Amino acid sequence: MAERQRPRRRGQGELEALVLSALRDADAPATAGWVQERLGQDLAYTTVITILTRLLAKGAVTRERAGRSFVWTPASDHAGLAAHKMRRVLDAESDREAVLASFVTGLGPDDERLLRELLGQSRSERED
Amino acid sequence: MGVFVFLPLVLPLTAWPIARLAEQHLHPRTATRLLTAVAATMAVCSTVCLGLVMVVGTAQLPGNPLPDGWSDPEVREAVPYDEVAGKAAIPALCAVLMACGRTFWRHARVRRRAHRALAGLRDAEVAVLPDDVPYAYALPGGRRDRVVVTTALLDCLEPAERRALFAHERAHLAGRHHRFLLAVQLAARANPFLRPLRTAVAYTAERWADEDAARAVGSRRTVAYAIGRAALASRGTPVVTLAGFAATGPVPRRVAALLGPAPAVRRWPSVFTSVGLATWGAAVGAAVSAMSSANSAVTMVLILHAATPL
Repeated sequence: MAERQRPRRRGQGELEALVLSALRDADAPATAGWVQERLGQDLAYTTVITILTRLLAKGAVTRERAGRSFVWTPASDHAGLAAHKMRRVLDAESDREAVLASFVTGLGPDDERLLRELLGQSRSERED
Repeated sequence: MGVFVFLPLVLPLTAWPIARLAEQHLHPRTATRLLTAVAATMAVCSTVCLGLVMVVGTAQLPGNPLPDGWSDPEVREAVPYDEVAGKAAIPALCAVLMACGRTFWRHARVRRRAHRALAGLRDAEVAVLPDDVPYAYALPGGRRDRVVVTTALLDCLEPAERRALFAHERAHLAGRHHRFLLAVQLAARANPFLRPLRTAVAYTAERWADEDAARAVGSRRTVAYAIGRAALASRGTPVVTLAGFAATGPVPRRVAALLGPAPAVRRWPSVFTSVGLATWGAAVGAAVSAMSSANSAVTMVLILHAATPL
């Protein structure tokens, strides 16, 4: 029962990570069928293709034609994929409201000069 | 209840002086807590009153499902200018509820998506992302609180400054600052007069984390340098998404505050200073707001109870 429920509960992000790690384990460019076998769970072939295509759009994998199908090669690691996804999350929130407390916010036109002055002053004080 | 029902709608104005003065004169922790409490109280009271006026407004509309007795002259007399105010309150309350719902939903969505983006990574507290855009933020909730930072930002900081950065983000998570930020955002949606408090709390929450980080790394100057360098490195990057208030230039103010003396932890400022007056003004405003909305609510319930034939 639990075994059957697990694939359904897994989110897209987790599946992408699984497929990417399977590809990274391969010694050579792998086919979608190989990935499906490697994952060994009841993932449909079309699901694997969908996930690979999504990873391709994110620049996390590359593919080349081999005969009648494609072979896939990993282009980035998990961190690279996460970075890409995070940028998409942040870029989608083009609103000026801060949802997440970020370390620094943007600088206004005069802020940069002011900031350099502050840091410069402080540095010369330290050297004195 | 008379004009009292309208008071909570304009009383947020009494909090404007403290919203301006708090960042210079109060400890950032005190300021954040005080301003958030005032904003939340005033927002709830203002929405309650809007709801009361709306009941009168809705009762006038033909074909409404409310009891007939609710449109009696006695009920309508409870609210001054009931014709105009009652009808204006209906779209106003709808707008408030929709805006608050949207803010809340967006907040949850960003957090959910950000956690999902990190799903494939090792389950560590700090997630370092290889990206050439320098940014860092604290991501609360999910399976665990996380600090997200890019390699570009780490590269432009020295080791001590990196420790300051991590300490700053951990302070956000440990202090649950996102709750304060969400509360003031919702309050600003509920009553536009509360917007200066949202801006002020967004700033004081950063200052609070700065001061905590300074204590953790043992040097205010290091934190100031970390902020300054990070800001200079990330200027002109497209991450304006997280910049809630770029126009007012909060970064130089934070750096200047850190290079100055540490803020004193005072419990409650004296009444005889401008900041004391402002604090008490806001506190009295919030109290009057609460009293008049409670008074209006009780009056309204009594009037409606009397007007409803049972």
